[in-house]
Amino acid sequence: MSASARDCWLEQVDGQATLFLAGAWNLPRIARIDAALAAAGIPASALVLDGAALTTLDTAAALALLRRIDGIGASVARLANFGVSHLRVIEAVLGRLGDIGVEAPRLRHRWLAVLGMQVLEFRGLMLGHLDFLGRSAIALGDAALRPRALRLKELAAQFHHVCVEAIPVVVLVTFLIGVVLAYLFGMQAEKYGANIFVVDGVAIGTTRELSPIIVAVIVAGRSGAAFTAQLGTMVLTEEIDAIRTLGLSPMQVLVIPRLLALVIALPLLVFVGDVSSMLGAMTIANPLLDITPATFIDRVHWGLRLEHVIVGLVKSAVFAVFIAIIGCRMGMSVSRDSRSIGISTTSTVVQCIVAVILLDAFFAIVFQELGY
Amino acid sequence: MSGAPVIEVDAIVTRFDAQTVHDGVSFSVPRGQIAALIGGSGSGKSVLLREIIGLHRPTSGRVRLLGTEVWSAPEEELAALRQRFGMLFQDGALFSSLTVAQNVATPLIEHARVPAHLLGPLVRLRIALAGLPVEAAIKMPSELSGGMRKRAAVARALALEPEVLFLDEPTSGLDPISARAFDRLLRFLCDDLGLTILVVTHDLDTLLGLVDRTIVLADGKVIADGPVKEVMRVDDPWLQSYFRVRTMLEGPEMNRGI
Repeated sequence: MSASARDCWLEQVDGQATLFLAGAWNLPRIARIDAALAAAGIPASALVLDGAALTTLDTAAALALLRRIDGIGASVARLANFGVSHLRVIEAVLGRLGDIGVEAPRLRHRWLAVLGMQVLEFRGLMLGHLDFLGRSAIALGDAALRPRALRLKELAAQFHHVCVEAIPVVVLVTFLIGVVLAYLFGMQAEKYGANIFVVDGVAIGTTRELSPIIVAVIVAGRSGAAFTAQLGTMVLTEEIDAIRTLGLSPMQVLVIPRLLALVIALPLLVFVGDVSSMLGAMTIANPLLDITPATFIDRVHWGLRLEHVIVGLVKSAVFAVFIAIIGCRMGMSVSRDSRSIGISTTSTVVQCIVAVILLDAFFAIVFQELGY
Repeated sequence: MSGAPVIEVDAIVTRFDAQTVHDGVSFSVPRGQIAALIGGSGSGKSVLLREIIGLHRPTSGRVRLLGTEVWSAPEEELAALRQRFGMLFQDGALFSSLTVAQNVATPLIEHARVPAHLLGPLVRLRIALAGLPVEAAIKMPSELSGGMRKRAAVARALALEPEVLFLDEPTSGLDPISARAFDRLLRFLCDDLGLTILVVTHDLDTLLGLVDRTIVLADGKVIADGPVKEVMRVDDPWLQSYFRVRTMLEGPEMNRGI
């Protein structure tokens, strides 16, 4: 590097160490300036700074300079030949140097503390859900006593979103599940010449278990997440507060219509899924297993008891309550920043799916004991 | 502090469908000045600001910012330009998933090669320059009050040592004391750090106490441009009623013309 391109150099002027600064001292060149300062060999004594050859000086470069001088243990004796604007920059940084020296401590938790906090958080979450369930029940009772409190328009709109708009995806998924089940069962049953029992298997399996679970998971992902995002956004924009201030109940206006819509919609969707999955099985049974549609339908009549279908539909109504409660509650309880909506929405979907599977296991045992 | 104007707006026309928002708006701001842009709601102040910084394309007209044609320069030139100005959005627009310090560090890490041992101090210097206590650095934006959030946003806008700072209604939603403190911060940035500042505001106290120059936008045109004392005398119904609110509060001329 030639002498003319130097950013700074040290000279002894009248027995006084003087640091000369030159050129552009700004943020884009900060790395070079920092290196030049390190290489300048600044002594740990009082320095004179000379800024006669400076063209620019910004706060970042001034900070690099002053921190370097501070770090070495040197001090500034005098500022010589600086332009007025450069002096102001140095003063602005100098005045704040004390504030910025120390990094504020950051809270860090050990794993045991994290575990403990998560347990408490989980407890709070469950209690919150329970509380919300209770308040929903009260609001529902209210609506039952005063039917005018029920928002029928909102209920219809929610029903449209939750049920009618979900039909295509439910039909598609359950149809394919029916195809896959019939195919897999058929492969095994064919070995024993028991082709016709595939119909029993598919009919019972889908109506009792698969259709309720799969439709509930689809609805949790579609509507549960939508409830959280909608209500969460309304919290953020203070719409919920506005509803309260206008003397309306957010439970009546927002939660009950969604809850009722979902409780009505989910069994209907499950029934659509039942029919669609059997249609799927019927479609593949004809070419693969030589079961004609007529035989298939006849066999369904004979082999599928009504209880299986009813068990599936009853389960799905309970799933609906949980999905709606979790979805709405997570939405109502977002904190007031945009990040928490994303976190709550994710959490809703996870909680809904876990809840659905746990409930299903519970029902499997209960219905077994009851003899259905 | 001389040379070519920092901001040059030339014959800007903006139309949304049939509605004309700007019908030939022109003005320029020289280096080291604090200029205010005022006008009634819907007069297109914020849109004009977005057009100057390259977020919204005007229907026609030219914008030169620091010598760069904002709407016809190649992308690399624009990228370089974006590091030379800062923008303060109305609600701060801080990244809500990052702490204040991380917010301020983001442009530094992206665009400047700052030695690791200087990054922390530099971020804290920005936070201190914006008038925030050092404890605010580790807070999340949601934990800050409105005034502090705006200061944190200023700290982020200052990160790359901009030459120009744009502010969209910086004192809206602040109490008068915080608002005046914010005005002093802007004065300090202009006088001591040499920034050129264009501020969209509704705040009369900001106009009277802070700015060097007021540009008034009405009916799609600049109807007045100059020091606030001169602008106050311009004979325009909107401007007169705008400033009359003030004279009513001030007292001595209370009984006149109401």
